[in-house]
Amino acid sequence: MAIQGSFVASILLSYLVAACYGATFASLQDTLIVTGSPKAGQVLKGGEDNITVTWSLNTTFPAGTDSDYKTVKIKLCYAPISQQDRAWRKTEEELKKDKTCQHKIVEKPYSPSANTFTWTVQKDVPTATYFIRAYVHNSIDKEVAFGQTTDSHKATNLFEIQAISGRHVSLDIASICFSAFSVVSLFGFFFLEKRKAKAAQKS
Amino acid sequence: MEISQGGDDSHQKKFALPVDSEHKATEFRLFSVAAPHMRAFHLSWISFFACFVSTFAAPPLLPIIRDNLDLTATDIGNAGIAAVSGAVFARIAMGTACDLFGPRLASAALTLLTTPAVYCTSIANSAVSFLLVRFFTGFSLATFVSTQFWMSSMFSARVVGTANGVAGGWGNLGGGATQLIMPLVFDLIQHIGATKFTAWRIAFFIPALFQTLSAYGIFFLGQDLPDGNYSQLHKSGDKHKDNFAQVFYHAITNYRGWILALTYGYCFGVELTIDNIIVQYFYDRFNVNLHTAGIIAASFGLANLFSRPGGGMLSDLMAKKFGMRGRLWTLWIVQTLGGVFCILLGKVGSLGVSVAVMLIFSVFVQAACGLTFGVVPFVSRRSLGIISGMTGGGGNVGAVLTQVIFFRGSRYSTETGLTLMGVMIICCTLVITLIYFPQWGGMFCGPASKGTTEEDYYMSEWNSAEKEQGFHNASLKFSENSRNERGKRIGSAPTPNNRTPDTYV
Repeated sequence: MAIQGSFVASILLSYLVAACYGATFASLQDTLIVTGSPKAGQVLKGGEDNITVTWSLNTTFPAGTDSDYKTVKIKLCYAPISQQDRAWRKTEEELKKDKTCQHKIVEKPYSPSANTFTWTVQKDVPTATYFIRAYVHNSIDKEVAFGQTTDSHKATNLFEIQAISGRHVSLDIASICFSAFSVVSLFGFFFLEKRKAKAAQKS
Repeated sequence: MEISQGGDDSHQKKFALPVDSEHKATEFRLFSVAAPHMRAFHLSWISFFACFVSTFAAPPLLPIIRDNLDLTATDIGNAGIAAVSGAVFARIAMGTACDLFGPRLASAALTLLTTPAVYCTSIANSAVSFLLVRFFTGFSLATFVSTQFWMSSMFSARVVGTANGVAGGWGNLGGGATQLIMPLVFDLIQHIGATKFTAWRIAFFIPALFQTLSAYGIFFLGQDLPDGNYSQLHKSGDKHKDNFAQVFYHAITNYRGWILALTYGYCFGVELTIDNIIVQYFYDRFNVNLHTAGIIAASFGLANLFSRPGGGMLSDLMAKKFGMRGRLWTLWIVQTLGGVFCILLGKVGSLGVSVAVMLIFSVFVQAACGLTFGVVPFVSRRSLGIISGMTGGGGNVGAVLTQVIFFRGSRYSTETGLTLMGVMIICCTLVITLIYFPQWGGMFCGPASKGTTEEDYYMSEWNSAEKEQGFHNASLKFSENSRNERGKRIGSAPTPNNRTPDTYV
């Protein structure tokens, strides 16, 4: 009884300690196999094309590895080439500060196999090169494991997304018309001014 | 020259405000819109405000724009530099345009000509097009010169400092207001149903329309001088045109103008730089949302409501007791303290303290702007327009320099850039110690022992041929009025306080 009690207490304590410190990427185990439908080098269109993600537990790991896995968050992450000279997408070891994966695809409860999800690329996803990563969270929503579609150097199996431009023909026309009107009205002012000055001279 | 009583009565009836013999207002009534004086004030600060809103409309939306246009940190830095570099020469040219065509037409024309750039920001689709629209929009900041010129034409010497300080400060307010307005407009448009990458484009129509309307307001409601517009007065022969080459020569050979141009770059230039980078700084470093970053950034520019006018008033207060030396010392102290708080801003790591330091920093840096223009009117009388344009242009050069050195690409993190910029402010402000007026002294030296007078200083700008024709008379009047720059302690010549201080056009 006492041993069980102290065992529970030590587990609780370790959870508390672990929760106080931010998880780092290096502390995560690469236990999920994640595959995405885009092939290497494929270009997808924002707002139109779909991505199908499948993930499952890597069975080469000992049984019980996934005992505290509760939820899985699948995210779209920037490849190193799209992070260059863009500090707002920087990779940091501490996961709270990490900005590599900024677009959430889906969040689902954990199950070891037969997971799949199809996602339409949203309209606010920017043009860049990506890979897909899944983070596994435990019951206190802390990251404990991950899996990704690329290798540890983030160099293989990358795909691109072409964003929507956000422009519409009506907007283009409005811009040109208002601009032209401003310039024309200016010349109208100069003309009016000359007329007024001539009138003042005559009177 | 005293006002003749008879003529004065009929003139007093014509104007809502009390005026001097040149019909310039001798009082500044903030809440009046009476034509032509206060109306000119409100039209000029509102249009200058609109130009500031347009020029800095992009920075608060950069977290969205940088994703839509696939911008790198270098692209963003270059666009920020482009936004403030156009006005460097435009400000100098504006002084000439005001001389030739009058501030009403000059500012309405510039404001209208730059609106296409703001409308076309909506159709930008690459880093290059983004840079181009920001570059051409930035030209509108030259309306600073027309604002100051117009105020100097409408208000007498006693109140021109206040009029200039409030008009300048409330115009600069646009740089802060835009950080609030643009995220709000963006949110609204998103709620109506547009996607992010379309909503920011639509949002730019707001500052563009505001700018167009303010230009129309100036044209239809404004007036160059209390007595009428330039085009009418030129034809009737009431206005004399000075020799541009002479005016230009006397401006560029006066070293004080160059020193003030440099130091203005490290108060106003720094203010422009902060307008460009502050939203991204708070958004990226402290992970606040766009709305919150906008509010924090706005409070930097909004301090202009009182800090720049306050700087101008402080300059006048110091001059009463200590003369020009007091103005120079106060300018040096306030601007150096601005540099100190800039260093601190880069060092603090918590959100709350960072906001507090930023607010203190904003007050000092903007007060320094007001203090600078407490000294500028005395550097030259004949070339006041070009000296003002040079100082104003120098402000933009400072903005270009600080962004190129510290905030472009990824060489320095933003916080390191801020600290280093603070060090540069302190170093460049030291040149104020070199300013010396022979009739009043400098920071460390008293006036020349051989008793140089104000007349000697201001008459040196005219040659004997011009003096024979009487062109120098306005400078003569100004010399008399500037005697109070000697301060209380040294005041020996009787100040002509019973006379109306007639002023310069």
